[in-house]
Amino acid sequence: MKKFRFFLDIDKEEKWLNTMAKQGYIFIGKLVRYHFRPAQTETSTIKIDYRSFKNQVDYQDYRTLFEDSGWKHIAGSKNSGVQYFERIDENASKDIFSDISSKAGRYKRLSEMYLTLALPLTFALILSPVKFSTLLHPMSWYLTPGLWEKAGISFWWSFLFETPFVLLRNLSWVILIPIASFFLIKSMRARMQYRKMRNSTKHS
Amino acid sequence: MSRDKHLPLTETVYYILLSLLEPAHGYLIMKKVEDLSKGEIKMAAGTLYGAIENLLKLKLIEPVHSPDKRRKIYLITQTGRVVLQQDFERIQHMVQLTEKAFTER
Repeated sequence: MKKFRFFLDIDKEEKWLNTMAKQGYIFIGKLVRYHFRPAQTETSTIKIDYRSFKNQVDYQDYRTLFEDSGWKHIAGSKNSGVQYFERIDENASKDIFSDISSKAGRYKRLSEMYLTLALPLTFALILSPVKFSTLLHPMSWYLTPGLWEKAGISFWWSFLFETPFVLLRNLSWVILIPIASFFLIKSMRARMQYRKMRNSTKHS
Repeated sequence: MSRDKHLPLTETVYYILLSLLEPAHGYLIMKKVEDLSKGEIKMAAGTLYGAIENLLKLKLIEPVHSPDKRRKIYLITQTGRVVLQQDFERIQHMVQLTEKAFTER
């Protein structure tokens, strides 16, 4: 069975995969969609780690360690970040992390990844020749002389005619600002989850 | 004497270093730590992997040649030995003090 889903939150993704497992559908891999196989035993657990690797040797060593300890690597690649594991041995640990600080470490790596995505975009925006003040005055985006003095059909015709060009000229802003902010917010959120979890170990 | 910045070691790290006085791959470390701690410490794969990564970064352990392409093998470094020795002495001191205190009363 194949299902299409899009997740931005690995906790929610993990939860969904385990709900599917309880219903008898075991996650076996992902191309564009999530692929499942039907299973009789509904005791399977899926866990997601977040890690990328410098080389194949490290990646292979990582997967072997999980497999040796009863967690089969079912999806992910050297650079995919998300790594999916299925618990295949009933003697295996209940989770892929056995202490809170290492569980928190997953959020730290996730936060760093979002930051590396956000930083180049943020720099590109800061260094781009468009001034922030122009951005706040959309009327100045239009270059047709006397456009704002026009009225009626004449105005609308000129306005609508120029709009596609305006959007193209400001494409970098229109698209980059939301994407960069999105990555920054995700990075900060993961960082907060990391801090919260790490601090909870100090009090226990 | 100023104490090494890595000290005191956590119980888990202590056992990992102790088990790496001989070369071992990840899963073997996991089993050794479990045995050494009389079954008290059962490390999960993700946690052990992070611990190994951290010890490599601190240069307390290092990878050595592995005949097995799927598993990397690690060994304690000279720095690792020194740190382990220092922590051992720290613990020994505490043990002696405690023994003395208990027998006197």
